[in-house]
Amino acid sequence: MTPLGTTPAADPLRVAEAPPPAPGSAGIGSTVGSNPDSPAGLPPGIPPAARPKRPHRRLRQVVWALVSAVVVAAFWSVDISWDSLGHAPARLVHYIGLMFGPPAWGQLPAAVSATMLSVAMAWFGTMLGIVISFPLSLLATRGLTPVWVRWPIRGFFAVLRAVPEVVIAVLMLSVTGLTAYTGALAIALGSIGTLGKWGYESFEAVDRGAIEAANAAGASRAQVMRWGVWPNAQPDVLAFWLYRFEISVRASAILGLIGAGGIGKMLMDNIQFRVWDVVGMLMITVVAITMIIDQLSGMVRIRIITGRWDLPFAARLRRRRTARATASAPDGTARAAASDPAGTANSEDRRKAEE
Amino acid sequence: MSQAQQAADIAFDHVGVTYPNGFVGLDDITLRIGGGEMVAVVGLSGAGKSTLVRTINGLVPISSGQITVGDVGLKGLRGKGLRTVRSEIGMIFQSFNLAKRTTVINNVLMGRLYHTPAWRALLAAWKRDDVELAMQALERVEIVHKAYAKASELSGGQQQRVAIARSLAQRPRVILADEPTASLDPPTSHVVMRDLQRINADLGITVVVNLHFLDLARRYGQRLLGLREGRLVFDGPGADADEGVFESIYGRSLTAEDMLPGHQQAAV
Amino acid sequence: MTTFPIAVPPPGDAPGIATRHPDEHRPWPHKPRTWPRALVIAAVICALTAWSAIAIQFDPATLIRNAHNASRTLVQLFQPDYTFIPDTAGALLETVQMAVIGTAVSVALALPISFLASRVTNPSTVVLGVARFIMNVIRSIPDLLYAAVFVTVIGTGAISGVFALVLFDLGIMVKLISEALDGLDRGGQEAALASGATWLKADRIAMLPEVAPSYISQTIYVFELNIRASTVIGLVGAGGLGMLIDKVRTFYQYHYLSTIILEVLVIILALELLSSASRKRLLI
Repeated sequence: MTPLGTTPAADPLRVAEAPPPAPGSAGIGSTVGSNPDSPAGLPPGIPPAARPKRPHRRLRQVVWALVSAVVVAAFWSVDISWDSLGHAPARLVHYIGLMFGPPAWGQLPAAVSATMLSVAMAWFGTMLGIVISFPLSLLATRGLTPVWVRWPIRGFFAVLRAVPEVVIAVLMLSVTGLTAYTGALAIALGSIGTLGKWGYESFEAVDRGAIEAANAAGASRAQVMRWGVWPNAQPDVLAFWLYRFEISVRASAILGLIGAGGIGKMLMDNIQFRVWDVVGMLMITVVAITMIIDQLSGMVRIRIITGRWDLPFAARLRRRRTARATASAPDGTARAAASDPAGTANSEDRRKAEE
Repeated sequence: MSQAQQAADIAFDHVGVTYPNGFVGLDDITLRIGGGEMVAVVGLSGAGKSTLVRTINGLVPISSGQITVGDVGLKGLRGKGLRTVRSEIGMIFQSFNLAKRTTVINNVLMGRLYHTPAWRALLAAWKRDDVELAMQALERVEIVHKAYAKASELSGGQQQRVAIARSLAQRPRVILADEPTASLDPPTSHVVMRDLQRINADLGITVVVNLHFLDLARRYGQRLLGLREGRLVFDGPGADADEGVFESIYGRSLTAEDMLPGHQQAAV
Repeated sequence: MTTFPIAVPPPGDAPGIATRHPDEHRPWPHKPRTWPRALVIAAVICALTAWSAIAIQFDPATLIRNAHNASRTLVQLFQPDYTFIPDTAGALLETVQMAVIGTAVSVALALPISFLASRVTNPSTVVLGVARFIMNVIRSIPDLLYAAVFVTVIGTGAISGVFALVLFDLGIMVKLISEALDGLDRGGQEAALASGATWLKADRIAMLPEVAPSYISQTIYVFELNIRASTVIGLVGAGGLGMLIDKVRTFYQYHYLSTIILEVLVIILALELLSSASRKRLLI
């Protein structure tokens, strides 16, 4: 009789001690004509180790309960008539039909030029943001400046990051009016926060070795920056500058929605006047432009960081070429590297979505 | 029912495997492994040991010939048929292949997935019998006290034993082992091989092990299969493997690298 | 007689302090010329910037002209009217509600879709391609645009906001989670498949626990994002603080506006602190 109360006879894995289970009865021991006389893993007479009890993770349960409570409370208290939700799918389908069946391609030229304006807004705003944030992020790097210089700058970045870009734009627009110009300024201001933060993070993440070597060779602070820090940080910095441009393109569409011009403005006008087929065409345009810019920017970023062009099918071709060349047998555990060698996608996308 | 299931014979019939990149993994292999045998496969890296073992459960599809496990032919088998065959073949891997962030018992229960309906699997609502079986499997490999530990907290040898338990939970007719000791230190390698040997002896499960170190192969395998460049160059008891045989398998004389480190002092 | 090879630079090359074996007769490597490419890139960037400046009608004079206006507004902005705070309570609550509901619905939907959109968990390339494409499209539409469309289609208020947030989050979450899945260790899955399980079961039991920490971490991140987004989608009528912002800015009530912005700042900064603390603990 084991400590847990299971008798060996009822325990199919144990063939020791008690009369063995008949071959053919359920259990691991009788799958194939087993040898009933030889003991299983343990010498006879020694009980198996006590089975542990299932642990109760209190903290996890409490957290789950709390989160569920909050979610339920939100659903219950919000001012939405849930019954009207039933009509929503039908209405959505109706409007999708209005928008895309067929979209108003005739206005495509106007859409393209509006897009160009938005892209110009995004580009200029990003450039301005880079120019302003770069020296500031240098000043905010640990190890290069004293604390009383760093922390105010970092605080400034944090505040700018916390305020949603749209709110910054709203503030600016009410002062200087609704134009693409002010939209660009708003984008610039909004980007200083994130560019600054990524900047000093990149500089601080640089391998200390190069800095020590530069210092040991007697370089001044500026020279250490130029020769020790910058070459190492350069790929990352260039990559996130480009990445920020991607985000700014999205932002320019949003700012256009609240009146700053570009494709967002065209969209808003048509939505308000319910010209749905133009709206449909514009949405396709926005999606296409965003996807193209994301793709191009992604490729350039990977080229910056890894030194290789990652064209859509290049990875597959590369793999086939090297496989043929080495003609090696898979050893069962090796896996081909994913075609996103920089691994930039995950955290970068997060940063993008931050905006 | 005195013979509930036939002991699983594995029959290779002019089996050839050619990989998509043109490399020939196996070249006209014909052999027969009887139910209840313990077979060790040896050879150089890339000679086809891993391929041979992985064709038995279809992880590597065969290009020509036929493999029969029990009474099911594997060539071209897919879908439910393949899964049914696989459910009776347990496999342990060089890198253990455990789900690191979940508990040991969950890992062992994965062996019961074939028999678990989809809705139960989605909710992770295991049947009580399955949990009992998993616990017993853990008891057999003497690691039940770690049942609720996270798999990544275990040492290499312990993880491999969990993997063995997972295979046992399948109630398999065959257990395949693809270099199970490659990531383990010598004493632990012996423990794992002894476990496999005991499982083979006590439960009568056919065991096919792919090993790098020759002394382990000779000691724990009743029968040795030597592969070289995809061809079977030796098939017989370990005792028959002499210098000439080694030469034909490895293409050179035996060196210390073919033995487990410290083999001279290996405990009996 | 020397005991080690002394440098003998090949004839015709500059002498150096190298210690090369005299048998080597290769010339020194040329320093690669990277400057032409850098010059071209710089030129392109300058051209683009110049073009964009012209396109948006960059005019520093305007700023200076409006500087007086701007400074007056700025002064008002730095003097928030704290008595306004109770009036913001309703909008604030709605903002948080929308964020919570949007997060809950979107992360629930995102889980199965992410598994479909990852190479690692979806063996069918066709379904994978379709799922990824649809998600990329959904992700390319900004939150405010969703909000604007839904407001016109469904009506103003939180319901449009929730719809907009759900769609917006879905795109982001699926991308983040499917990429997390792409990078995971597939060992457990391989073993599960080798034991006869279907892909569905293998993914659920072997891969879901592996991605769980990422999943929770990204859920918190999406919640943060939603709080930010739901403060502004009201600008087009989708409920929350945004509607209040729109109202006060139309009346140039900058004291009130600054109160709202202050609240937004406080919430977001607090949330950021909370989330980075909890995400650090989750990095298992």
